[in-house]
Amino acid sequence: MGGDLGSRVAERLEQESWVGSLMGIDVDPPRRRLHRSEFHLMAPTEHDRIVDTITAFDPHVVVHISVWEPYSRATPGLARRLTDDAATSILGAAAECRALESVVVRSGIEVYGRARGAPTRPDEAADVAPTSDYGRMLAGIETTAAAIGARIGVAVSAIRMGTVLGPHVPSPLGRLLRMPAVPFSVLADPPFAVAEDIEVAKAFVEAARRRLAEPVNVVANGAITTLQALRRGRRVPVPLLGPDWRIAQLVSGLFGAPIPDHVLELLHRGRLADNSRMEELVGFRPRATTGEVIDRLYAWPTVIRIPAREQVA
Amino acid sequence: MTDSTYEARVITLPVERTLTAARRRAAEAATRQVAPLGGGIGGVDDWGRDPSLVKLSARLGRLRWRTVVGGQQQLPTRAGALIVVNSRHYALSAVWAAIALGEATGRTVRFAGRSDVAPIGALARRLGGLLSRPDEVAGALRAGELVVMGAAPVFHPRRVGRVDHRLVGAAVATQTAVFPAATASSPLGRGARVEVGPAARSRRRRRGPLTELELADQVERRIGQLLDELGGTQTGTPLDWLPLSGMGGS
Repeated sequence: MGGDLGSRVAERLEQESWVGSLMGIDVDPPRRRLHRSEFHLMAPTEHDRIVDTITAFDPHVVVHISVWEPYSRATPGLARRLTDDAATSILGAAAECRALESVVVRSGIEVYGRARGAPTRPDEAADVAPTSDYGRMLAGIETTAAAIGARIGVAVSAIRMGTVLGPHVPSPLGRLLRMPAVPFSVLADPPFAVAEDIEVAKAFVEAARRRLAEPVNVVANGAITTLQALRRGRRVPVPLLGPDWRIAQLVSGLFGAPIPDHVLELLHRGRLADNSRMEELVGFRPRATTGEVIDRLYAWPTVIRIPAREQVA
Repeated sequence: MTDSTYEARVITLPVERTLTAARRRAAEAATRQVAPLGGGIGGVDDWGRDPSLVKLSARLGRLRWRTVVGGQQQLPTRAGALIVVNSRHYALSAVWAAIALGEATGRTVRFAGRSDVAPIGALARRLGGLLSRPDEVAGALRAGELVVMGAAPVFHPRRVGRVDHRLVGAAVATQTAVFPAATASSPLGRGARVEVGPAARSRRRRRGPLTELELADQVERRIGQLLDELGGTQTGTPLDWLPLSGMGGS
């Protein structure tokens, strides 16, 4: 509930008539004004406290969004550890709740992987075969949630979302695309699809309301290649062939936009997903296209640092 | 009458306006420098097909081939359909047939059988290529797309290779029609032809995978018949009189 996506979902849930009381746990305080939510500031490692808090609340629905994307807010190692801790504590505690009817977990289209010969635009029935660290993290959450669901007999759904881009979402891809000069694969320049934060939040709420019991791909319509995105953003494209990617990763990291392996995979192999079942599963079709989401990414105002007029310390 | 820019004009000092204008001019200049780097490249669709590149390829193809398309009126105007064509080694029949049918029908036509290795695979994807996977083809058919797939490639221009029943199974699973189509081209002349036949239908109602096997066999036979009806290609040389193959002489 502290992150951008979490507080956005909480804000939407507060507006739903079917939601009675609402409780959230996060390591950061909520980023939006929430009116009737109960918030608990807890680290994912505080296992006992999390279990006590959740079991005392005894929820009907658990929406698990605690996923740290590598290099969004934490380094890959720390992101993996925090994600694992949160999944173990929260989903484990949820399994102890007698009133539980449904679990909705955050996942991503990274779970399909981009191995050679993998489907270009996988649908929900495609095999889960991740080929990146982040994909494996998400697949792990899905497996844990599915195992809990099967064991205690509750509906489990996974929101497999494309890379989320929004004004306050810390995204390594968004950060990279907003750099003044951006590398792209000159031999492949494959297409990818992204998702808008508002629509992803809506999908979480709808999945919870419908007690959805299967995964759903949530991505914006259409696709875009890196070069086309850079053209839209008036960025300087830096064509790369192969070994020079190592240097590009290093330079990009030094300038504040480190490239994790799943973003590198996206730049080399693309990342698309079939979103045709969204209407059936979550009751709406995405309105924004990938191109529009990218346009908004570039339309966000840049942070302008104004130096102090007078140095006082 | 209200002046919407009044407030902006009142609170913006002249120096500030000059600076803003200078910044805007600099930004426009930067834009002019960056834009041509990616100029001429259009958008891509959900599968990564680039319509402007397809158009360019069709234009280039016309320099070499004068393609006549027949029977395209049998294809659905909106729904998805699988079109199976005969294929010759190194002839890229499916790619060429997809481009020709796209031009003739005005619809997006994809082809199955692209490589997944850059840069060839990336280029084929821009031309509308899909991987030869039943789930990939089924996804496109479910979305109402026309997909061309090639039979197994052979050297003989009048023979048809095996039709992959797994891909035909994708059409069966999505309840889309399967159309046989014959392709023929002259190795020396400019003439080329794509002839689409009526949709193939299973004669017997089956519950299991025999549906796609029988449908694939039927499509294979129908393409053979269409090729016979086309009568082979003429080279315009004495080779046509030699009983070599399907190159004429009959």
